[in-house]
Amino acid sequence: MKPKVAFFDFTSCEGCQLDALNLEGELIDLLAAVDIVNFREVKTEREENYDIAFVEGSISRESEIPRLKKIRDQAKVLIALGACACIGGVNCLKNSLPMDEALRIVYKDDARYYDTMPARPINAVVPVDYYVRGCPINTDEFLKVVKALLLGKKPEIPNYPVCVECKMAGNVCVFDRGMFCLGPVIRAGCNAICISGGRFCWGCRGLVDDPNVDSEKDILKKYGLTVDQVTERFKLFNAYQEVAK
Amino acid sequence: MEQKAVLVVDDEPIVRESLRDWLKDAGYQVTTAETGEEALEMVEKQDFGVMVLDLRLPGKTGIKVLEEVKAQRPWIKSIIITAYPSAETTAEAKRLGAIDYLIKPVAPDDLERLVRETISSAGREPTVAAEVEIRPKPPVVEIVEVKKPFVITQDSLRSIVESLAEEMEIVGVKSRHGKYVYDRITSFEELCLDYDVTVMPPTKYLLPAKETLLKFKVGDGTRVSPVTEAIPRAIIGVHPYDIKAIELLDKAFLATNPDPNYNARRQNTIIIAVDCLNPSPKSFAPSMGTHLTETGFDLLLTDIGIDYVVTVGSEKGADLLAKYAEVREPTSDDIAKQKAVRDEALAKYKLSLDVPRERLPKLLEESYDDPYWESRSKTCLSCGSCVMVCPTCFCFDVRDEVSLNLKEGERFRNWDGCMLVDFAKVATGENFRHDKASRLRHRMYRKGKYIVERYGRVGCVGCGRCAIACLAEIASPLETFNAIAESARIKEEAKRIVREARAETELYAPRLAELVKIDKLTPRERAFEFRFMDDKGLGHRPGQFVEVSVMGIGEAPISISSSPTRDGTFQLAVRSVGNVTNALHALEKGAIVGIRGPFGNGFPIEALEGKDILLIAGGIGLFPLRSLVQYILDRRSSFGRVILLFGARSPAERLFLDELAAWSQSPEIEFQETVDRGDESWKGNVGVITTLIPKVNIEPKKTMAVVVGPPIMYRFVIIELKKKDIPDDNIILSLERRMKCGVGKCGHCQINDVYVCQEGPVFTLAQLRNLREAV
Repeated sequence: MKPKVAFFDFTSCEGCQLDALNLEGELIDLLAAVDIVNFREVKTEREENYDIAFVEGSISRESEIPRLKKIRDQAKVLIALGACACIGGVNCLKNSLPMDEALRIVYKDDARYYDTMPARPINAVVPVDYYVRGCPINTDEFLKVVKALLLGKKPEIPNYPVCVECKMAGNVCVFDRGMFCLGPVIRAGCNAICISGGRFCWGCRGLVDDPNVDSEKDILKKYGLTVDQVTERFKLFNAYQEVAK
Repeated sequence: MEQKAVLVVDDEPIVRESLRDWLKDAGYQVTTAETGEEALEMVEKQDFGVMVLDLRLPGKTGIKVLEEVKAQRPWIKSIIITAYPSAETTAEAKRLGAIDYLIKPVAPDDLERLVRETISSAGREPTVAAEVEIRPKPPVVEIVEVKKPFVITQDSLRSIVESLAEEMEIVGVKSRHGKYVYDRITSFEELCLDYDVTVMPPTKYLLPAKETLLKFKVGDGTRVSPVTEAIPRAIIGVHPYDIKAIELLDKAFLATNPDPNYNARRQNTIIIAVDCLNPSPKSFAPSMGTHLTETGFDLLLTDIGIDYVVTVGSEKGADLLAKYAEVREPTSDDIAKQKAVRDEALAKYKLSLDVPRERLPKLLEESYDDPYWESRSKTCLSCGSCVMVCPTCFCFDVRDEVSLNLKEGERFRNWDGCMLVDFAKVATGENFRHDKASRLRHRMYRKGKYIVERYGRVGCVGCGRCAIACLAEIASPLETFNAIAESARIKEEAKRIVREARAETELYAPRLAELVKIDKLTPRERAFEFRFMDDKGLGHRPGQFVEVSVMGIGEAPISISSSPTRDGTFQLAVRSVGNVTNALHALEKGAIVGIRGPFGNGFPIEALEGKDILLIAGGIGLFPLRSLVQYILDRRSSFGRVILLFGARSPAERLFLDELAAWSQSPEIEFQETVDRGDESWKGNVGVITTLIPKVNIEPKKTMAVVVGPPIMYRFVIIELKKKDIPDDNIILSLERRMKCGVGKCGHCQINDVYVCQEGPVFTLAQLRNLREAV
């Protein structure tokens, strides 16, 4: 029997879901391997009976909590999809503001119609089995996770920094090109795509398990960033972890 | 591998046995098999260097045997013998890796020669997988000798590169973002041969970041087939240190359990090396012996200006030159230029190992528990950059990937490195190198010890790439090796000090001396004469001091007033000012005191000899100076003029009156004295001591002035002496400080960085100019 797969989204742009199925040649194979029973972006009918739940987005409203808990209860395997779900992502930038002020900035006079709370990754609310990281996710990695689950093995997601893949890609170090990079403490798996494309690492995949953040901050300062700039750089995607520290 | 072990497979007993006997006589260990099946059994049981195989066998054919042997034991080199040669079978045999074939009947000499050549052929024919196409060797046009240098022009080099480009992929060094990288070269102009170091080493062409090892089918019809992908490729511009790294990889990947993938790539790679003439500032290749190489390349270029000296390193290299280049014999000038540019390059290396690299394994062995690893690794990001960019790092991980239909997949390997957190982690969660320090230590041990011991080659080629790549600036093996060498040196020194220390139990225990004579000089000052109870002398120099103990009262430093040239006693003149000196004054003849010393440097007799001596004593400054006056008078002929100036505050405070009287009469010493304030009985000079100085005529360069008195006196005396143009080096002063222990430990007498009891109390004015606390 094919496993039933459902996709859910919380506070997010829903781009990761779209990327997950942006498979072209392999979509047919995927649909042959699994039943997608719930996917707001691509189909209207829904089924409340599923085995694997992919959850996109961070949790930023009280009402999202019971909804996520229900998904957790139903799913045999729950997978966080994308930076917002995995690490809180850009939504957590607002966490440094008072919530009513954040609402006012976004909704102006209509703020009173909305409620919000400090944003958090989904593992701050329910246990998460696996993570497909990035902003947006890497479709290959998504497939890797799906295949691992189908084979009944634990997905092998790198626990080493972006530097490893960056060197494999043969890039000249970002610091040698006069820019700043979070690569040394951010989890690989993206094949250093931003750096290979001429930019630097923003940190969308979150920190490795045991990051030497102090050393990275020292390096950023050594190369000329101010403490505030260093903090800003870390906060873009990793405000939740950064603030929690 | 049992290189000398030969397996002979032939179904005809006469052939089989003759081959066996011939080869045995030639010194080989020979095993025989009658059938293909038997041969395969043998191969499974025992390792052979060469198999001599009859193609026509009952049961399994020779071709079948060859195919299976190639799959099981790809390193066994096979020679085919057949009575029925055909183009197809020999081609098929060669495709399956057979080195050569012989036609029956076989001549013993031919067989022996072929077996010998097969075994000794360094660059043996590749073991080629079906997917790999090996292009035929270019035919040899004319003979070019291996190991011989030639000279080629830039145009010839271009011709070699462009010709090679028609046959294979060309990779070489290019500039990118102000750094250098190895990449595909599509035109000769892109090629850079004068670079310092590349970001990644060329070893990536032999061990790619990711490569497929196997293809497999999953499930019921499980099948596994090895994959070796290797396209013919030339790497151009490889520096000697990277050549040395490749030689290490050869050893690691080919010497035992030969790696088919590495082998296929290696055999399909032509290496054109180039001498590194502008090394990276982080490189220390000469310390690792890798800045030059004589092996490991097909051709080696040295840029000598317009042309290149090219050294031929292999048959392949010789063929290339012969076919594509116009070579000329080098002139003596060319060879001199080659040496000159290499020497110039060598002089550009700024970093070097502080210990010979041969000592690294032992040094590391003894540094396992050094706190260095902990402190050095504190800022480590565990980012793996150091191992990723290292040409001698070759560790890898192996993983499976399947297609979405879950029916087929690939097993591939990708770079991994011991600096990464999970490198030594096992499925149970245990991580055998869980902390940064143990990982850093392991990497350095590999570079300096484990690799050296396992492969007999240096594990770090000194390219400096890791030091460049490491943002935390902790990756350089050179810095680590030097730091632990320094730490080992300090430890060894400390051990040696403790080991060799012969502490005298008497260091703080005084020798006992008897007070044999007391002279009352003034109401406050007395001269005491002592003799040691053991009758041994003091053995001092003029100007030294002793620590005098009155047991129960204490110990005080007292300068020695008598010359060592006088008999077995010694005199200490003492003003009664403190506990110990008061107690001394209370002693009667026959009392016992404790004496430690002599201590301090004393007056520099050697520097005084042969010079005119101007001695200046103020008040009780005469106490120490008297030892020198006596000494000079006892050795009068060793000195030039001797002038003694003495000043007391009042006539009543004059000291050693008998001696003063004698000196004033003596022709051997020009003696002048003065008192600050006279009285009715005083007929002599009145005025402070400085008033005497202008009155003496001296030759400043020939004169040594020795001054002893209270600190206030020094300032004014120095001014007067400088008016006489006496150089600072010729002005000698004795300082007073609180010298409690006398042996350079207690710290009381320290002036800036000197201990007065050790380096003093006598200093030249030149020395004192640097001691701001002194005067």
